[in-house]
Amino acid sequence: MATRSETDGRLDGIDLNRYDAATYVVYAVAIVFFVFPILWVISMSLRPEGDVLTYPVQFIPEDLTLEAYRQVIGQSRTWLWNSTKVAALQAVGILLVCVPAAYAFSRFEFRGRQHILFGILLFQMISPVVIVIPMYSVMSTLGLMDTHLGLILLYVGLQVPFSTWLLKSYFDTIPDQLDDAARVDGCNRLQTLWHVLMPSMLPGVAVVVIFNFVFSWSEFVMAFTILRSSDLFTISVGVFAFDGQYTAAWTLIAAVSVLAILPLIIMFIVLQRYFIRGLTEGAVKG
Amino acid sequence: MATETSRTRHYATVARSRVSRLGSAVQEHPLTWLLPAAIFLCVFLLYPLVEAFRMSFTNMSLIEPDYSYVGLDTFSRVFNSSDFWSMTRITVIFVGVSVVLQIGLGMILALAIDYGVRRGLYGSIVTRISVLSAWVIPGIVIGILWKIMLIETRYGVINYIIVRLGGDVVSFLSDGQMALLSTIMANTWRGTAFSMIMLYAGLQQVPEYLQDAARIDGASPLQRFRHITIPLLMPVLFINLVLITIYTVNTFDMVLALTGGGPGRATEVLALFMYFEAFNRFNLGTAAAIAVVMLLVNVVMTVIYIKYLLGEEEF
Repeated sequence: MATRSETDGRLDGIDLNRYDAATYVVYAVAIVFFVFPILWVISMSLRPEGDVLTYPVQFIPEDLTLEAYRQVIGQSRTWLWNSTKVAALQAVGILLVCVPAAYAFSRFEFRGRQHILFGILLFQMISPVVIVIPMYSVMSTLGLMDTHLGLILLYVGLQVPFSTWLLKSYFDTIPDQLDDAARVDGCNRLQTLWHVLMPSMLPGVAVVVIFNFVFSWSEFVMAFTILRSSDLFTISVGVFAFDGQYTAAWTLIAAVSVLAILPLIIMFIVLQRYFIRGLTEGAVKG
Repeated sequence: MATETSRTRHYATVARSRVSRLGSAVQEHPLTWLLPAAIFLCVFLLYPLVEAFRMSFTNMSLIEPDYSYVGLDTFSRVFNSSDFWSMTRITVIFVGVSVVLQIGLGMILALAIDYGVRRGLYGSIVTRISVLSAWVIPGIVIGILWKIMLIETRYGVINYIIVRLGGDVVSFLSDGQMALLSTIMANTWRGTAFSMIMLYAGLQQVPEYLQDAARIDGASPLQRFRHITIPLLMPVLFINLVLITIYTVNTFDMVLALTGGGPGRATEVLALFMYFEAFNRFNLGTAAAIAVVMLLVNVVMTVIYIKYLLGEEEF
């Protein structure tokens, strides 16, 4: 018995080193596979048009130039600004709409509460793609075609289920005693929500804001269907239109793509914690 | 004069307290808090859904204002068209292979990072950030990124590497089967992060003492994985499977940018088929019917998901 466990222990020791090596191999392959396309498009964007078709391929361009960026910045700036504007206003809107709703689901007892909550979860799973066709007529009827206002309102609507669920789960973590104490001190519900609960809600609010911002910033199918004038395009629609217009002008297309992803990647690296939190909580808790 | 002032003051107080009582009555009703969300939900989700069903029973067209109700004709036309079934086949392959690859790769990465973090190996965080960066990139840009990677001459970087390794230039996007494979690869590139994060979170829930106990009993790492990790990870695996199936069925932007559904219609997944039917061929009724079919797939998956959640924990 003793010998067996000794042998096992020794084998385990050898195995562990082998597992270390295997882990490093997995890391290396993963980093190359996931980062290389991004680095490659950056490399494409930094070379003169003529250097796209060179053989052997230059991984790091010999003539570094910002020429492509100079050519695309005019249009891209408008699109990036549009995306930022739509995303920021949508994030404000979603909080105004969903914080009260989440509060109600967490703090009120009313008939059908569970059923409504799961009904909302059902809506969360509806992809914008599935309702894009009727949405076209909804937006026409409301006179909101080709407007940022329409797009913002629509994005708020689409994101209500996810945001309400996530915020509700954060409200649920705050003990009721806090509300009771505030009520005894004479706060009404609104004051309690604002002064007492919101400070504890900030991490949840951050997750919701970030996810909504990223969603609105890069959403495609609705924006593509609703926005008609290129001055109003958000960045996803802009990149796609640009790709269609300048077929095979790879340096330009690469430059627009880089401009479209850099803000998101920087934001993601800075706020990584919140992204991961939203991903796991959004999915597991509903 | 003095009484006048005090009376006015009295009325003001009464009015204010009435307003505040009304205010508090309003505040005490849940509907007040729910109303804005309910309005948005109804206008931008519920109504369009109902409208999709209604449209699917008509022969509505994008270019002609008149239409009539045709009952289930639209559906029977959809189900009898070979186009619909070939697009469904493409979608099933696309979704099936993507989902398997995403869960497989996500699992390998989650295990590696879990192990690496425990052992304090270098690169765990960099790996995680790398995988997740792919996931934050908008779908449209992912399509374009891979289009650039897969350029079909020896100047395209992947083909360059293949040629340097002694192979021939591969028609990644102009050969039907290869194009489907390429979209699956791009989709896996995008979606693996989600599975990795969920499975990693799941692994953190596996109690360490179980692993330790099994190790003491002489279970090999493979046996521990098979008999402890996998069973305990089942709930997360299941939720992950349902969610990424839903996401992948609804993929639109990435495929549109990468192949536009081509070559021919080799990568025209249902979402693209539906969109083209509406906006290129103007058949709103038919498109709505396809949307309803996709919707039902989503709803069935979601109901399974909710039932499972309800079974997992007490609400």
